Amino acid sequence: MVSYLPQSLSEALELLASTGAIPYGGGTDLMVEGKNDASYLFLHKIPELGVIAGDADYIRIGASCTFTRVADHPLCPGILKEAILQIAAPAIRNLGTIGGNIGNGSPKADSALIFFVTGSRLRLVSKRGERIIPIKDFYLGRRSLDLRPGELIAEVLIPKMGYDRYYYRKVGARDALAISRLSFAGIIKTQGDRIVNLATAFGAVSDVIIRREDIDAMLIGKTLAEAKTVRDNYLAAYAEAIVPIRGRVSEKYRKRVCMNLLRDFLDTMNI
Amino acid sequence: MKPETVLNADVRFTLNGKAVAWLGSPAAPLLDVLREGFGNTGVKCGCREGECGACAVILDGELVNSCMVAAGRASGAEIVTIEGYKNTPGFEILDRAFAGAGAVQCGFCTPGMILAAACILRNNPHPTTEEVRKGISGNLCRCTGYNAIVTAILAAAGEGEGKW
Repeated sequence: MVSYLPQSLSEALELLASTGAIPYGGGTDLMVEGKNDASYLFLHKIPELGVIAGDADYIRIGASCTFTRVADHPLCPGILKEAILQIAAPAIRNLGTIGGNIGNGSPKADSALIFFVTGSRLRLVSKRGERIIPIKDFYLGRRSLDLRPGELIAEVLIPKMGYDRYYYRKVGARDALAISRLSFAGIIKTQGDRIVNLATAFGAVSDVIIRREDIDAMLIGKTLAEAKTVRDNYLAAYAEAIVPIRGRVSEKYRKRVCMNLLRDFLDTMNI
Repeated sequence: MKPETVLNADVRFTLNGKAVAWLGSPAAPLLDVLREGFGNTGVKCGCREGECGACAVILDGELVNSCMVAAGRASGAEIVTIEGYKNTPGFEILDRAFAGAGAVQCGFCTPGMILAAACILRNNPHPTTEEVRKGISGNLCRCTGYNAIVTAILAAAGEGEGKW
């Protein structure tokens, strides 16, 4: 089978529309499938997909940026770097890309968890144009993405504001080369004593990363003292919302650890 | 479309300083291309899924697991395997340090470990123990034990100023 090595984004979009070749980011998920006769569209030579830059509101990371590059880049936020440095090991992080981690569609994707909790957006491009959507809307269900034929993930846009303090935990079988059994991220922004933003996300639990803005809204706008008074209701709402799907590790264990981490996040943030 | 865009049974790259062309599938794992296509059997096949690091090689200066790289991804790249790295001053130092520390038992993980060590020391000539352990965290060893390997890499760091 023929593969393609486009040198520009327009060439890649032309090829994607006309050939049906599989977009190849870092290859670390694709190569496990062992398809020696696959037709790949290699994306690493496309300059437009390799840029990390900031504008007034967002840090923009090109889909082809490797985990190593993101972890080393001064513009990338600490919560993202912390999560990325716990992915696999150096020889995988030198290959794996942000776009691939998202496009693989797994609720265990460690970088995607951070994009959920920070309310990041995706820029999707095709020959017809582009659209920018919240990452939460991109994941429709188990391995099901709102990626239209001929579309590529071009960039992730991470808001610059809204997370003065963060909390991140990945639970794996060991430190390196471990897939998440469960992951949790929480962010908070306070002004004086008042919570102006708070978000949580749970990975490797359900078909899609769990992000419940409606539940987190219970704490937003309150002072830390006021938030404490609704803490039990907040935890009860999550206890109902978190329904782990079957996995390699028992549902009961994952649910308990989710709730423990959520409690620890609240304790840490003095709620 | 420019001709270099289509990878059709002709992937050209540099292997240990020599220009080569791979005439098989561009989707084949670089691991198989290096071992079977070019006889670089120092690249070991342990797991084929990025879990062990035995097949690690250096691609454009960075450590990668060659089982996780499709041949086409290497188009235009510079690949260094242990067969190429063994002719460098850095290798001589690592070779002595690994022998001195008893850091080679069965030897299956050793080519990947040596290349991982070379990449650690190139980025950071004076690593801490923790940095060495993180640097080899993707390279599994099941018999020698990591302590001897870490000792060897730290010893090489002490000796190898400017050689990486």
